[in-house]
Amino acid sequence: MPPKREAGWYKNAVIYQVHVRTFFDSNGDGVGDFAGLAQRMDYLQELGVNAIWLMPFFPSPLRDDGYDISDYRSVHPSYGTLEDFKGFLSIAHERGLRVIIEMVLNHTSDQHPWFQESRSSRDNPKREWYVWSDSDTKYRGTRIIFLDTEMSNWAWDPISKSYYWHRFFSHQPDLNYDNPAVREEMWDVMKFWLELGVDGFRLDAVPYLIEREGTNCENLPETHAIIRELRQRVDEHFPGAMLLAEANQWPSDLRPYFGNGDEFHMAFHFPLMPRIFMGLRLEDRKPITEILQQTPEIPATCQWCLFLRNHDELTLEMVTDIERDYMYDIYARDKAMRLNLGIRRRLAPLLDNDRRRMELMNGMLMSLPGTPIIYYGDEIGMGDNIYLGDRNGVRTPMQWNGGWNGGFSNADPERLYSPLISNPVYGYQSVNVLSQKRTPHSLLSWMQHITATRRSTPVFGSGSIEFLYPANHRILAYVRQLGSETILVVNNLSSAAQSVELDLRRYKGNILIEMFGRNIFPRIGDLPYLLTMGPYQFFWFRLRKI
Amino acid sequence: MAEENLLTDEFLRQLINVGEVDIVVGLSTHNHAKTVGTVIGAIQSGILKCFPRERVAIINADGGSQDGTTELVTNASIDDLRRNSKLYALRTLHSISVRYARLPDPSKALQTILAGADLLRAKTCVIISPDSTTIEPDWLQRLAKPAYYDNFDLVCPIYQRQKFEGALVRNLLYPMTRSIYGSRIREPYGSEFAISGRLGTDFLGGGIMNQDWSRMGPEISTTIFALTGKYRVCQSFLGAKPPSSRSSHDMVAAMRRTVGALFASLDGNFPFWSTISGSQPVPTVGTSIDVTQETARINRKRLLEMFSSGVAQLGPVLGAILSPSLLAELQRIAALGIDEFEYPADLWTRTVFEFAASYHKSTISRDHIIQALVPLYRGRSLTFITENRDGPGEEIETREESLCADFERLKPYLLEIWADGK
Amino acid sequence: MREIIVNELTQAFQQMAREIVHYLPRLIVMLVIALIGWVIAYLLKLVARSLLRLTKFSKLSENAGATQLLHQAALPSSTELVSRFVFWVAWIGFVLLGVSVLGIAGLQEYISRFFLFLPRLFVALVILFFGLVAASFFSRAALLAAVNANFRSSRMLSIAVRIIIMIFALSMVFEVLGVAEQTMLIAFASVFGAAMLGLAIAFGLGGQDLARKFLERKFGRQVKEEREDELSPL
Repeated sequence: MPPKREAGWYKNAVIYQVHVRTFFDSNGDGVGDFAGLAQRMDYLQELGVNAIWLMPFFPSPLRDDGYDISDYRSVHPSYGTLEDFKGFLSIAHERGLRVIIEMVLNHTSDQHPWFQESRSSRDNPKREWYVWSDSDTKYRGTRIIFLDTEMSNWAWDPISKSYYWHRFFSHQPDLNYDNPAVREEMWDVMKFWLELGVDGFRLDAVPYLIEREGTNCENLPETHAIIRELRQRVDEHFPGAMLLAEANQWPSDLRPYFGNGDEFHMAFHFPLMPRIFMGLRLEDRKPITEILQQTPEIPATCQWCLFLRNHDELTLEMVTDIERDYMYDIYARDKAMRLNLGIRRRLAPLLDNDRRRMELMNGMLMSLPGTPIIYYGDEIGMGDNIYLGDRNGVRTPMQWNGGWNGGFSNADPERLYSPLISNPVYGYQSVNVLSQKRTPHSLLSWMQHITATRRSTPVFGSGSIEFLYPANHRILAYVRQLGSETILVVNNLSSAAQSVELDLRRYKGNILIEMFGRNIFPRIGDLPYLLTMGPYQFFWFRLRKI
Repeated sequence: MAEENLLTDEFLRQLINVGEVDIVVGLSTHNHAKTVGTVIGAIQSGILKCFPRERVAIINADGGSQDGTTELVTNASIDDLRRNSKLYALRTLHSISVRYARLPDPSKALQTILAGADLLRAKTCVIISPDSTTIEPDWLQRLAKPAYYDNFDLVCPIYQRQKFEGALVRNLLYPMTRSIYGSRIREPYGSEFAISGRLGTDFLGGGIMNQDWSRMGPEISTTIFALTGKYRVCQSFLGAKPPSSRSSHDMVAAMRRTVGALFASLDGNFPFWSTISGSQPVPTVGTSIDVTQETARINRKRLLEMFSSGVAQLGPVLGAILSPSLLAELQRIAALGIDEFEYPADLWTRTVFEFAASYHKSTISRDHIIQALVPLYRGRSLTFITENRDGPGEEIETREESLCADFERLKPYLLEIWADGK
Repeated sequence: MREIIVNELTQAFQQMAREIVHYLPRLIVMLVIALIGWVIAYLLKLVARSLLRLTKFSKLSENAGATQLLHQAALPSSTELVSRFVFWVAWIGFVLLGVSVLGIAGLQEYISRFFLFLPRLFVALVILFFGLVAASFFSRAALLAAVNANFRSSRMLSIAVRIIIMIFALSMVFEVLGVAEQTMLIAFASVFGAAMLGLAIAFGLGGQDLARKFLERKFGRQVKEEREDELSPL
């Protein structure tokens, strides 16, 4: 029985991002599958998340980890069948977990039958389904996204002897959204999955749908028109279904993607994420508060998506050169860690496996305004392997126990889709779900606790935010409010103990109740409220006036 | 520790908020609203340009300004509350101000800044004068870098000067510091310098600042403290000498603060300097700058008159300070006309040394000894100007070296008269 | 007639002999006291000399300019002078003590008045000494300040300061000694004048620029000088 999709359910969600391939292999072929994923729904339910975002699982040559799709209405055979997917969906819904899937609108694999047809001849009916040109000079000035591998946004097709446009890898030709047939077809694809019961889509690479000469081919008004149209259709036929935008842009450029509440429901706040890492190492809240000061208001029904890490590199596109150099020097000294203006490392290695920092970062993730996303494996502090190509180092098999293949699969280890992390620090022998479940003070246990606390109140998901600016710049403090409920969050970004005086006169008379231990703290009076904090400590206080 | 009394509650609170830093930039002010804006702007630019990743704080010790100086300084803060959209900074920059007294006291100001730097565990503390309107953003790096990266304890400045400027430094402070303490520091009394955290802490804790001579001249006392301890000292080329503060035109006050402190330092440091002969060069950072040849109008006759009338009218006083033979020499040259007048280097050196010895023995009040030196200095500066009027930079440098050589050569004379009872 | 004269003379000599016999023990006592007093006074002189040497009194007196004065007057050094003074005061005291033993009427009163006078004399001498010190110091200070301010008549100013302070000191000395109390009026006037002068000096020292400009206007060169650049010595 799918959970009822009340309006704005996504605002109070805690999303778990996972690739079916990485999670659990049920049939011993070395690759995770839907049957295996379905078996692990209990785990996710215990963790406390209430939504799953699935990475692309469609048939694909897998040259871009599934974002190069060759069939939109099926499941890659390695992961199972469509029936398996339906089975998983049903179990997820039973556990109260909503399911969000990827929908790569912008491009397909060059192996997709559409492209095969399109390229076969200039007269083919599907010719105009892609963006062709006789020269590679059109749309000059458009930035290249995969800088490490691509030299141009045009690729030469030897078959039809012309160039085709691709904003990503050259084997991912862009669909031509100026063609109504394309728009109809993609809507049909979405409808297919919505009818199966999925609760929402993460629409990949949406800024790049439309190209126009003399522009940077990003965020164009025509693109927004297409999205509005899609949204309208979703609302009409599948109320409550959610659209999440993947658009790596500045907040002011992201704002249009919410429209007037008539485009995307949610969008990732990309610029915030590297600044949280920066603020932590600088031991200075300035990068964090400044980006949030620049973040525009969004419609009441809309929501930001917050994340610490994901399947991609930690992107440093939306920072200045000085900031990028700083991040590289601090977080990616080894050049092998750098990719495409980003850092391809997991959360735990980025934080030097420091438990306190991991807690603090997750604390901020859960308390800043937006819907938090936990990347699979980060809840147990999994490590990475920078020597695997591309971004595969952060997409290694889930570590369930210290046994055979880390409990991921019964297959021969050599058969696994990717080697396991096996070093003494992050290896599956020491970092795995089973051992952490048995430890009441493990990271996993702590994550369960904080997720539950987050979900215990709608303030974090739906409330307003007001920053306090204490003179001690190492302290990031803010007040979340929804109706009569008020929560004070104080984070110590420093590796050393700090004292801070907060101006809480507005809340005079309130007693502070610390939300994890539920102990009472002194009442707020006229004087600045003095708090002393341990290294990387954070407090969530509920304010109560009795 | 002495600095406990220096820290008001408000200052302490501000320091808590600043937290640990890598570099402190200290500024001591008193009604400097006209110039401090330029200076603080250059400091800010210097920090953002040269130390964008380092944790830096500006500490202003103010002696009771009434003209808005402190607001100008604190406005240099860059933080998320102020939102200076024009300036990009990776980090928060704190610029805090503390009123250490109702009236200016250079020694207490320096102590306050060093105490703040000590508590903030700064690796390097750079002192900048609020009058330094010729300051460039790079000065911060030129001063701080040797201390911050290369582990020097004291970085003294070297300025580009007009060829007649700094006569007191070039005729007395430099040669004497060089011959006494054995170190060729060109500007022992610099209004800009950098010190390491280690030196700052030792300086504060050593009780030096409570001694009279240190209170008189905190800048030169820092230099002397570094020279007499096991500290690494270097000097760094900065740029054009900032226009002098108003007080340095008051010759007597300037003398007290520099020469007085220097003479007074000789007592306690006798075991150190009495064994030194000759001098060692000091590592120098940066490209050298020649003196500027821009002309300056000097009233030489007036200088001669100040010298002659000083010698004449201060006869009994000078008699209590100088040896009869030297006094006679001075009286002889005081009678010379403007064209023949010369105060030879050798005579000047002996004059200075005899003054130092009398200061040590307190033949008359020490402050009076310093005051009595002023007219004689005028005579020497006249010779200095005359000699350097037409020469190029190298010649001036050569004469400077020769004067220093005289000081070093005659040091045994100082030691001889130092011990004599008069 | 001859017999009366002889009788009278004999009686007179007998009386004198009786007087001598009566006073001789006292005289002997007086001489003994004087002798012992001499010894003690000498010892005190030695003690005083050592004490003064220890406390570097000669230095102080040199600062005061007293040494120069004494030297000019061909007097011994100040340490020696004070020591001798101690000696003489002590010895005279003992002598007078001895004299008092003689029991000469009328002399007792003068002797006790002398002893009463001694402390005041001591205080007066101390005041005089410190007056010398102050006069020397302040006159030198004034001289230096005036010279450095390019004041033409520096010497005059210095002497004036010295005189005024000395007058003040002397008037205090006289008052202590109880001599010529009318001089207090004069002293007051002098003090007033000295205070005014002191203020002028303070004004000159504290506000040198202003004072310099003022003095230059009033006492400076008549010729308009060429403007010169202000070059810093530092």
